[in-house]
Amino acid sequence: MGALSRWLRSDWAGPLLIVVVGGGAIAVLRPSFLSPFNIEILLLAIATNTLIALSQMVIIGIGQMNLSVGGIGGLAAISFAGMMQVWGLPPLLAASAALAIGILCGILNGALVARTGISAFVITLATLSIFKGVNLGITRAQPFYGVPESVKAFGNTTFIHPLPWLIIPTVLVAALVWYILNRQPFGRYMLAVGGNASAAELSGISVFAAIVRAHALSGFLAALAGVMLVARLGLGQPTIGDDWLILSFAAPVIGGVVLAGGHVSVVGTVLGVTIVAIITQALVLFEIDPFLVQVALGFLILWAVIINQVREVRMQRSLRRIA
Amino acid sequence: MRFFFTNEFGLLALIALFALLFSFATPGFASPFNLFTLGRTMSIDIVIGFSMMVVIVTGGLNLAVGAIGVSSAMTCGWLLEHVGAPLPLAILGAIAFGAFLGAINGVLIAKTGLHSFIITLATMSIFFGAMIYLTHAQAFRVLTPEFSHFGKLKLFGNVSALLFLAAAVGALLSVLYRFTPLGRQMLAAGAKAAAAELSGIRVGRTYMICHALSGALAAVAAMMVVARNGAAIPSMAGQLGQDWLLPAFLGPVLGGTLLIGGRVSVLGAFLGSALVTMLTNGLLQLRVGEFWIQAALGIVLLIAVLLDLARRSFLGQRALG
Repeated sequence: MGALSRWLRSDWAGPLLIVVVGGGAIAVLRPSFLSPFNIEILLLAIATNTLIALSQMVIIGIGQMNLSVGGIGGLAAISFAGMMQVWGLPPLLAASAALAIGILCGILNGALVARTGISAFVITLATLSIFKGVNLGITRAQPFYGVPESVKAFGNTTFIHPLPWLIIPTVLVAALVWYILNRQPFGRYMLAVGGNASAAELSGISVFAAIVRAHALSGFLAALAGVMLVARLGLGQPTIGDDWLILSFAAPVIGGVVLAGGHVSVVGTVLGVTIVAIITQALVLFEIDPFLVQVALGFLILWAVIINQVREVRMQRSLRRIA
Repeated sequence: MRFFFTNEFGLLALIALFALLFSFATPGFASPFNLFTLGRTMSIDIVIGFSMMVVIVTGGLNLAVGAIGVSSAMTCGWLLEHVGAPLPLAILGAIAFGAFLGAINGVLIAKTGLHSFIITLATMSIFFGAMIYLTHAQAFRVLTPEFSHFGKLKLFGNVSALLFLAAAVGALLSVLYRFTPLGRQMLAAGAKAAAAELSGIRVGRTYMICHALSGALAAVAAMMVVARNGAAIPSMAGQLGQDWLLPAFLGPVLGGTLLIGGRVSVLGAFLGSALVTMLTNGLLQLRVGEFWIQAALGIVLLIAVLLDLARRSFLGQRALG
């Protein structure tokens, strides 16, 4: 009973319950929800959205916010497609270059924030415009259509029905992020900075390095999401990333992440992404107006942050009682 | 003498400098038509900037400015086209609706104690989604002729009437912050909320009023867009209204309104937005390439915050030494 109550108090018990109960309810009302085709679609959406959510989650972990997630993703996406089309680079090389661009964008963000002390909100608002602007400047708002068939196949086919190829990089990278945050000093230092930057500094942690590394990781994840979207869409669309802002916050928040920083949950975030994907799917299955997805997402965020707040307050109170 | 070190004078000088540069570089810049167009665009960006400024003053953010603006404008269009309301009533109704949406933000923030960022991120989605759903993404094009007439009105030669409206709004805001207790309460709540609360200021109620004001100003800006376009279009502020976010911050930040709150410069925000709009217009005239403009604006924002930081530390050092 002790293990069960401990699990119930963990971050992701709530979201997991919602996924199971909600998914179950939908499956009962619309059996096609559990069809292999539908599962494949769900997994394709989850594959890319997880990376977007993790990209933001890492920055929430250091107690900041990254508005340029979509900008980095879009820039990486068109770079990936553009390099293959215009320079004829093989997909793996182009993808590596695009990921490198993402890391560089992230380092720029991190260095500016850490060096100047200006709020990450303003810095990333500015860099969002810069990245988006470079994107538009290169593409002139025209997509790159020359994406090789192998890449398109990777983005749209399954290796074991109904599991798509696209899910493999996501699972690997999510596991990597979990490992970094939970088992590696680099990750622990980041969370320490997020929890209390001055305490971290006094403990000998280089706050500057932690911030830059976190932003670099965020940039990498956003770029990977962009590259994977190019594979799935089959073209280098300049508008990739335009609608990532809300999702990048919604999923971690629904998954139990607190915006104050210092404490994140990869599993919770993945479950948050799943919940968003399920709801989006459900609206389609129940023939509800797709515009209402936005409204639903907004309410979800509100509800999730309020619940997280209540949980946080309760946890603080119980900590004080012990101390 | 000290005036020449202020941010406002710097902005004025930059505006004059660039106006001169652009006039010599391209023949089109100083043409009556361009000056008129520039004035109209400027006035809209100025009011958008004001809408964000009144929230920044209390140390908060309002990501929903675009969403509230568009929703209010569509309400105005609906009142005019479907309800057949007279123009003044439709305008008042839209502003009231904007204030109402803003007040919702304010109440949520005050009651939950959560950061305005995440609250307005959520409401941005809710307001925009509801608006799109209710209007089925259709524009209202049958507006009273007076509306678009006002948008095209020229006063004193080539100055757009909209610019005078923006200036009038700015003047009212200046009066608010300088001469009214409410304005001082807002500044106090922004500077140090805890101290303000202990001094008897109801900080929660102040936040709500700020956000309601922000919503009302967003509605005004949106209706200026409608007057200029002659139609109420749901995509006027982009997806979720996020196209307004950059101009909303650029003006106040360039103008010296601190993001941590407690200090405001209405004139600065006015000049800041004016400068940015003028830069954009001038660069377009120079055929710099429309697509690089957005990158340029991002760089301008970066430089602005860095300069502000440098200026404050320089002044701080001078004060000590």
